[in-house]
Amino acid sequence: MTHAWKRWVPAVMVPAVIVAAALTVPLAANATASLPTKSAAQVLAMIAQSNVKALSGTVEQQSNLGLPDIGSLGSSVNSSTSSALELLAGTHKARVYLDGATKARVQVLDSLAERDVIRSGNDVWLYSSSNNTTTHVALPSRTGKQPSQTPGVVPTPAELANKFLAAIDSTTAVTVSKDVSVAGRSAYDLVLTPRSSTTLIGSVSIAVDSATGLPLSVDVTARGAKAAAFSVAFTSLSLTTPSADLFAFTPPKGATVKQQALPPTPPKGEKPSTSAKPSAVTGTGWDSVIEVPSSAVPTSLSGSSLLNQLTTAVAGGRLLHTSLVNVLLTTDGRVFVGAVSSEQLQAAAAGK
Amino acid sequence: MSLSDDSPRARPFAGLSLLGSELSVLFRRRRTIAMLIALAAVPILIAVAVRLSSSRAQGRGPAFLDQISQNGLFVATVALTISIPLFLPLTVGVVAGDSIAGEASAGTLRYLLVGPAGRVRLLVVKYLSAAIFCLSATVAVSVAGAVIGIALFPVGPVTLLSGDTIGVGESVLRSLLIAAYICVSLLGLCAIGLFISTLTDVPVGAMAATVVAAVVSQVLDALPQLAWLHPWLFSHYWLSFADLLRQPIEWGSFGDNALLQLGYLVVFSALAYGRFSTKDVLS
Repeated sequence: MTHAWKRWVPAVMVPAVIVAAALTVPLAANATASLPTKSAAQVLAMIAQSNVKALSGTVEQQSNLGLPDIGSLGSSVNSSTSSALELLAGTHKARVYLDGATKARVQVLDSLAERDVIRSGNDVWLYSSSNNTTTHVALPSRTGKQPSQTPGVVPTPAELANKFLAAIDSTTAVTVSKDVSVAGRSAYDLVLTPRSSTTLIGSVSIAVDSATGLPLSVDVTARGAKAAAFSVAFTSLSLTTPSADLFAFTPPKGATVKQQALPPTPPKGEKPSTSAKPSAVTGTGWDSVIEVPSSAVPTSLSGSSLLNQLTTAVAGGRLLHTSLVNVLLTTDGRVFVGAVSSEQLQAAAAGK
Repeated sequence: MSLSDDSPRARPFAGLSLLGSELSVLFRRRRTIAMLIALAAVPILIAVAVRLSSSRAQGRGPAFLDQISQNGLFVATVALTISIPLFLPLTVGVVAGDSIAGEASAGTLRYLLVGPAGRVRLLVVKYLSAAIFCLSATVAVSVAGAVIGIALFPVGPVTLLSGDTIGVGESVLRSLLIAAYICVSLLGLCAIGLFISTLTDVPVGAMAATVVAAVVSQVLDALPQLAWLHPWLFSHYWLSFADLLRQPIEWGSFGDNALLQLGYLVVFSALAYGRFSTKDVLS
């Protein structure tokens, strides 16, 4: 029995080696060569000059907004409200393929299912494998270069980054933090910090690819929190042109095909207006509160039992609280949205 | 068997003949044959049920169950989806759990262990035969599914999860890939079963413990509070074989799964070696 202990050596060594490898491999992958120092303005210019036309990659979206798990609420997955909310909670993986301004495909990889959005020229196809339905939307021919902005789909880091960058003004401090590595590429870390002390958002960090200026990840951190509450990041990225037949979509046999007309857009299609009805904005910068009038709120929203489970009753209506955004549904049917405290939303609602 | 001959040349042949006799014992057992028949019955039951029910309830039942009636080749995939959470782990647990403990309880273990390198060789042979059972179990489900699907339903182009359509040839190729994926997925559980089997002389206990391990792993995988643990659970990628039904194929989960199963294989083989080589074999 003197050598008996030696026979247990592999049983001790193997887990130790695996743990060591699991700890060091991600560190080695994230170790980044120090990039030449750039100012925030230079990094912003890199993004502006970024000219990535074609790419294929995998995007992971993680949210930890403090919402309960939508799937566990037992709501039907088919309702559009819950599937939109479902995309806001938990972790989602999507594959993104882009070729030029008019060809794009986003695949949301669900467990044993997939949701696809395919754009080729002026045709946009939405396909959902779980109920085998296809929706076809024909875009007006002069939509120009605007990339397909389709609701209910995981955004690419670039799309999300552009939204935040468009909002940069005097209320935002822009700095460059330590270099990072995203999807195996070295990147500058652009940090947007709100100067306001009343917004819920602590900082927005955008990783900008050092070679191409393409935003690789966006992390939004709540005020006072350490980990990001919402993040979208490439986990793999290739800048080669994807195969052309990825963008050629014909509805599969037996699928339900719906034709959906695009709502008439105002002649200036530049502004990303979420609805044709006007929404009033009060406050400035990060403290803005958007008021959606009751006429623009879908009637299905108020009676939804899912919404009742997600919201809590407050003075003047019901509140949907997340760590980044608060949504107040007033008793008279208006909706107030803002990255501010619930008291500020209530004040805005009372002010009208 | 002349296992006492430990000249280096004789060893591989001795190992091979041991594997051969082990496999013939395993596959001639009524229990093994009954388990394979039960697994093959899963796709047949599904196909007959779908064929007999005329109403097609959309969006109910497991994913892509609706697609069976349009394409018989899907029967195998649906049957694997239904079998992977319980039926396949159950049969693998029986075979792997029985591997050492069964010999011990039958009193045949000490006869297998004559010869200095006997114990390691026996572990390797037992593991290989359990792994070959994994493969035959997966093949049983796939082949029965393909045959019954072709018999009862039309065969034609297959719609993938991405909405793209592929021809019959490529769909057969993908079915084979899925069978390979499922087989690889079970290798970690096999190693766990082998280790548990070295701990006891009661085969039923080892079988039950292995099946319980599979169930516990899946329950833990379903708890969102343990998200940090999920990538380390051997059942985590079991249902990710659906990534092979996307266009283009998402190979990431295939690689992750193989690496994870390899990790479990190495860890539990080392544990089994530590336990079995120091064990007093009394029966």
